[in-house]
Amino acid sequence: MSIAIGAGIAVSIAGLGGGVGMGIAGGKAIEAIARQPEVGGDIRTLLFISLAFIETLTIYGLLIAFMLVGKM
Amino acid sequence: MIFGMWDSVLFHLGPIPVDHLVVTQWALVLVLGLFAFMGSRNMQVIPRGMQNGLEMIVEFTYNFFGQVMDEEHIAKKYAPLLSTFFLFIICSNYSGLIPGAAHIQGFQPPTSNWNVTATLALITALTVHYAGFSEHGAHYLGHFISPNPAFLPLNLLEEIAHPLSLTVRLFGNIFGEEMIVAYLLFLAPFFVPTALMGLAVMLGAIQAIVFTLLSASYIAASSGGGH
Repeated sequence: MSIAIGAGIAVSIAGLGGGVGMGIAGGKAIEAIARQPEVGGDIRTLLFISLAFIETLTIYGLLIAFMLVGKM
Repeated sequence: MIFGMWDSVLFHLGPIPVDHLVVTQWALVLVLGLFAFMGSRNMQVIPRGMQNGLEMIVEFTYNFFGQVMDEEHIAKKYAPLLSTFFLFIICSNYSGLIPGAAHIQGFQPPTSNWNVTATLALITALTVHYAGFSEHGAHYLGHFISPNPAFLPLNLLEEIAHPLSLTVRLFGNIFGEEMIVAYLLFLAPFFVPTALMGLAVMLGAIQAIVFTLLSASYIAASSGGGH
């Protein structure tokens, strides 16, 4: 029971932080591309790299949740 | 099942157990190799058919990595490795596009097991150090104590964190997506998982791109000037 709650908390807190971060990064990238459309390609590459870094933290939470569920 | 090392060993190759994921990877390598062989067998100056397509891919990757990695000769040297990563990862992500593939042996995507992704990440890590040494020689060791020797543990930790995060990112994404499709299939057997699998097509391609891009930027960082 408590393991299930722990798994839920792990994945939801990780998702919360990652979601806020991704929203800020994506929004800023769209602002930058709207201001200077000619550097869109570079910004898109950088956006993907930074989204990957943000996403890793969320995936760590998901991994912990899977490990907890596996222990149940 | 989840972190099973050898969840179903098919046969032994000497002392090495071979499970169904390894056989799936052999099949993928065979298919990719056949494509490359058919396209490059009897090449002509004026390309036709498959040779045309393959040349387009090669030229695109050279341009793309040249843009990402800044230096032309480094990009040319490592583009074959990086585009092999891309092709292998995208094919193995897509090999799991059957609903409930997580439960059918032989149709699991190999990248949903973290032994496979850890191997790929280790290849990247070794290539990063090889690139650093071959570009800078012994001076490459200096970047471990930059900006000053007190940063040595942090720099070493970073070298471990890079391959670890590459491993966990690819494995976690593909495995998580497989698990969610499997649960949905269990709850509602028909049509409901389709929506999520449309997302899975996009996710597979994005993860392949992200792995390749990050490998490229690590290699560029270790081999480029001014670290």
